[in-house]
This record gives sequence, C-alpha cells and structure tokens, in this order.
Amino acid sequence: MPTRSSPIKYRPTVWDALIAAAIIALGLLAAVLFYTKNARGGSAIVTVSVAGEVAERAALSQFDGDHVYTGNGYTLTVSAHDGEIFVSHSDCGGQDCVHTGAISRIGQSIVCLPAQIVIRLESASPGDADVIVG
Amino acid sequence: MKTTCKRLAAACVAVLAALSLPACGERKTAELELFAMDTYMSFTAYGNRAEEALAEAGRTINELEQRLSRTREGSEIWTLNAQGCADISPDTAELIGQALAYAAQTGGAFDITVAPLVELWGITTDTPRVPAKAEIDALLPLVGSKHLTLTRSDPALTVFDTAVLDPGCAVDLGGIAKGYAADRVADILEKYGVSDAVASLGGNVYVRGTRPDGTPWRVAIQDPLQNGCAAMLTLSDTFVVTSGGYQRFFADPDGTIYQHILDPATGYPVQSDLLSVTVVCPDGARADAYSTALYVMGEAKAASFWQSCQAEVEPFEMVLITADHRIVCTSGLADNFTEQEDASYAYEILAH
Amino acid sequence: MNGAMKISAKNIALCGVLSALALGLSVLESFFPLSLLIPLPGVKLGLANIVTLFALYTLGARPALAIWLTRCVLGSLFAGNASAFLFSLLGGLASMGVMIALRRWDRFSVFGVSLGGAAAHNIGQIAAAAVVLNSTAVIGYLPVLLFISLVTGALTGLLVSLLLRAAAHLSLR
Repeated sequence: MPTRSSPIKYRPTVWDALIAAAIIALGLLAAVLFYTKNARGGSAIVTVSVAGEVAERAALSQFDGDHVYTGNGYTLTVSAHDGEIFVSHSDCGGQDCVHTGAISRIGQSIVCLPAQIVIRLESASPGDADVIVG
Repeated sequence: MKTTCKRLAAACVAVLAALSLPACGERKTAELELFAMDTYMSFTAYGNRAEEALAEAGRTINELEQRLSRTREGSEIWTLNAQGCADISPDTAELIGQALAYAAQTGGAFDITVAPLVELWGITTDTPRVPAKAEIDALLPLVGSKHLTLTRSDPALTVFDTAVLDPGCAVDLGGIAKGYAADRVADILEKYGVSDAVASLGGNVYVRGTRPDGTPWRVAIQDPLQNGCAAMLTLSDTFVVTSGGYQRFFADPDGTIYQHILDPATGYPVQSDLLSVTVVCPDGARADAYSTALYVMGEAKAASFWQSCQAEVEPFEMVLITADHRIVCTSGLADNFTEQEDASYAYEILAH
Repeated sequence: MNGAMKISAKNIALCGVLSALALGLSVLESFFPLSLLIPLPGVKLGLANIVTLFALYTLGARPALAIWLTRCVLGSLFAGNASAFLFSLLGGLASMGVMIALRRWDRFSVFGVSLGGAAAHNIGQIAAAAVVLNSTAVIGYLPVLLFISLVTGALTGLLVSLLLRAAAHLSLR
C-alpha cells in the first residue's frame, strides 16, 4: 500500500466549517424547494378520468381554478382551491358528486356515476392509503 | 492487500446477486377501471397473468350485471320482478340462496325483498321523493323472505334453476351483488395465479396478498363527517365493505335529509345511531350483506350480533362509527387498526 | 500498485477484526434505534461508520471499502430487508466516495471527512428512495436528515479523532 497519505489532522479546521456550512445550505435549499412547491395538498396528483380514459393529470398545487368536463351527456364543473378539490356544479340527477364535498387527501376520489367521471388524488408515497372504503 | 480486497469484493457481489434474484422476478402490473352495477370500480393486480385476470374479471362483472340488475330490461331479476317467476342461472341462484340465508341470520335487517319500497322512494332514480305513510304501509306486507322461493324445474337437478315471487313483491340485489362480484373477482385472480391485488367495487374492497413493497394493504375508512379518513386498517386476503347513510342521500323540499338505506321493518330510511359500518370478513357477499344489516340494526344490536357470531364457524370483524363520535373496533381487528390523529373520534375496542 | 504488493497477515487479520467490530456496532445500534426519538426513515447514529472512518485513516481507501461492504452485506443478512439493504448500500457508497475524496484532498480534518460522509449517506439514501418509489415526496425528509447528520457526523468525527490519537503510536499499516 502506498504510504503517501498526508498526516492526520485531528482538530477541526476552517475547511471543516465550510463543509458544515455546505451541508446546512443544502438542507435549507432542499427545504425551500420542497416546501414552497408543495405548500398544501402534499405531493398529490389529480387524475380526472372520463369513461375510464384519463382526461387530465396534474399536480394538485397546479390545478387551482375551475375546470369543466363532459361525459355521457352531463357537464361537471370541478374547482380546486388551496389544495382542496370539489365538484362545484353538476347537471346530473343524483348530485352525489357535489355531495361528496371537497377532497384533499391522497387516495380520496369523487365519482359521478351518470357522467362516468372520476376525480382522484394519487401519490406514490408509501405511507398513504392504497384504497379508501366507504 | 489488493488481492484480498478483490476476493472480498467478489464474494460480496456473489452474495448480493443471490439476494437480489428473488426480488426481481417477472411481475407485471395491470389496472382496470369500469362503471358497472351502478358504481365505479377499480382494480390493480400484480402477477404474470394479471392482465388476463382483470380482463376476465371485467367480463364477469358485466355478465353478472346483465343477470342481476333490477332496472335492466330482460335481466333475470327484472324478469322475476315483472313476471313473478323466472329461470335463473346458477350464479343468480347461488346469490339469492346466500341472500336468503343472510336475511334469516340478521332477522330481516338485510332483505332483498325491500325493492317495492326502494321503488316507491325512488332511491336509485334521479327524482327521489318522500311517500305518504299510507303508501308505505300498503307496501310493507310485501317485504319479507317468505315471499321468495327457489325451486327446481326438474326434481333431478342438484341446483335451483327457478325463482318464484309472490304477486306485487320485488327483489333488489343491490345490497349484496357487488360483494358477490368481489367474490368472483377473487376466484378469477386465484385461477390466474395473481398473488397480489387490490379491488374496489363501490364501497366493497378486496385486498389480496401484499403491496408491492411486501407490507399489508392499507385500507382507509372514510370519515363520514368530514373530508378525510377516520381510521386505517392494514389487511391481507380479506374483504372490507362499508355501509353508511352519508354516501347517498337527498333532501326533501322541507329540508329533511333522507339517506338511501331503508329499514325493511319500517319502510323508512334508517334513523341509525351509526354513521357507518365497516365489515371485514373472508367472504365478499357476506361482508356486503352484513354491513347493510348492521347499519340498519344500530350499535347495540350490531354489537350483540357480532358477539353471537363469534361462536359460529364463520366469525367476522367490524368497525362502527357512531353518531356520537366514537369508533368501535372489534378485538379481532385491534392489531390491524390505526387511529387517525386528525380525526375527532374516541376509539374503543369491543371484546367478547 | 502493480500487484507487486505484499499483504501482511496482520493486515488481513486487522480487516477481519474491524469488519466484525463494525458489524457488532451496527447490530448493537439496532437495539437503541435513534428512529424512536426521531421518527423518520433513515435516521440512525451510524456507529459502524466509526470503524470505517478509522480504517480509512489507518489502512487506506481499499481496506476501508472492503470492511464497509462486508459489514453492509452481512448486516443485511441479519436484518433481512431487501429494500432497506439497497438504500443503505447506495447511501454507503455515496458516503465512502465522499469520505475517500475528502481524505485525499488534504485540507479537512477527521471532522470534515466524517461530516461529509454522514451527509452523503443521507443524500444517497434519499436519492435511492426517490428512484425506487418514483416520487420526489421523500426529498421532504432531506433537510431534517441533513441536520441530524451534522450532529451524528461531528460525534463520529470526535470519536475517531480520539481513537486515532490513541492509536498514533501503533504501526497498523
């Protein structure tokens, strides 16, 4: 084994402080990047499907505003605000989709049977529910 | 030093390769969504033949719907209701047989002959209404298992092939058909050797095997009062069915809220002290029928029904969410149950 | 480095002893999981890194790598979790790479090398988790993990610094 290695420095040096500073900077950067992007609603992804076909996929945080979908002759207005998403208006008979109210958690969904429209919140994070019953 | 390190590294790589072999077997993921049986269904399956299995599951569910639908003209149940007598397929005979058995076990709290009242209230239609008491009282005598009989057209047959209904009566399998469909899906997954899958058929969930990471499936119970989940169950190889009045309801012009589950005894929507009932058991149709029956029964009767079933050969487990903000979980589920921190419920375990 | 190197029996024995020590420490650590205090995936003291860092200084890069890999593979046999093994392998690889580079650079003390290694371990683990889970959600853990790595890294650095001073009179190589 070559024995060229430099003498051991036992005491912290200025350069060590630089490393510590770099780690702190990296941590802050990750925090800022992550928490500003996913302020609310976590990393949820909204999937809207009409008759089994995906009509739209977007991050919940970037889905704010009203979106109109039609399926099977019915029209739904889907609204998203502050990490919550709900059907604000539907011309279907049962109004189950409107009654469902707002969803904001991964795994939740709003289903409008007459219009065959499903709005789902998804994530690949391991701690979340796989399926919601009820 | 160098050769030692090389040998060490080689040995480590060999061990590593051996470890990773079982992990990367050929496993395919298949997904299916469909609208059937008046609800939204989604399936995810993992296995070499997952795709084929789900395709067959989809076909089977559509076939079942064509036989079992009350509203689809020409279905076996539609014919039975219209003519008072119908030839039925082995599937339908099996399901009606199970439904009659569960009606007997639950003292009529679950009853498929409640259909005339469902029709009267217009519950599955776009225009529900509150009928007059006289209208309801007139139909109540038509409700009851005694009005429905399974027979054989030929005494030599081993299975029933004919259903007979008293005049004016009607059958609605809505409270059990999805559970039965879930049973059939489980059979199909078994047939195709699909080891891991999760299926959601409306309020009916079936979990098979594990999640891709090897841990049990995480089934969240919807919070009936607010956006969110009331509890989490970690489960494998079982059926989970939730019934509650909060999913489907309508408001009378006077402002009264009526939910969609009728009490077969009164003919009115259930005024339950429960918000939802979740049943966990290894039989999908039973879980479906029991969840409705327990909701109709209310907390006290549901608890004693659970107690009485523990002595039977086929016990089940349940989670009750009560109107006074308690979640009652039976002892058999205690280890599978996780409270949700942000849900405002008191948690209780129901022991024998 | 042309293969004309002598391998002393002492060095082989030392590698074995240090591997065993590292393995022992990582098993010992599993009895007092830091994750009980801080419930985040990937949080740990990293006691075994004391041995690896010590080996890096006293024996050099290659023996240190060999000791780390041995400890990692054998440790996973005890723990028996394939995905956790993958994460710690990738984390460890990043950590070893950074520590070797920092040691070569000859500006940093034991503390700097230890800090860099601890931070790289967490970054490597999170990167592996992000790829395996196909989700960037895990990056949310990184700030906390990095902060904890400052503490555990400094602690490891202190211990190794003391160890090296104590062993300075020995000729281990």
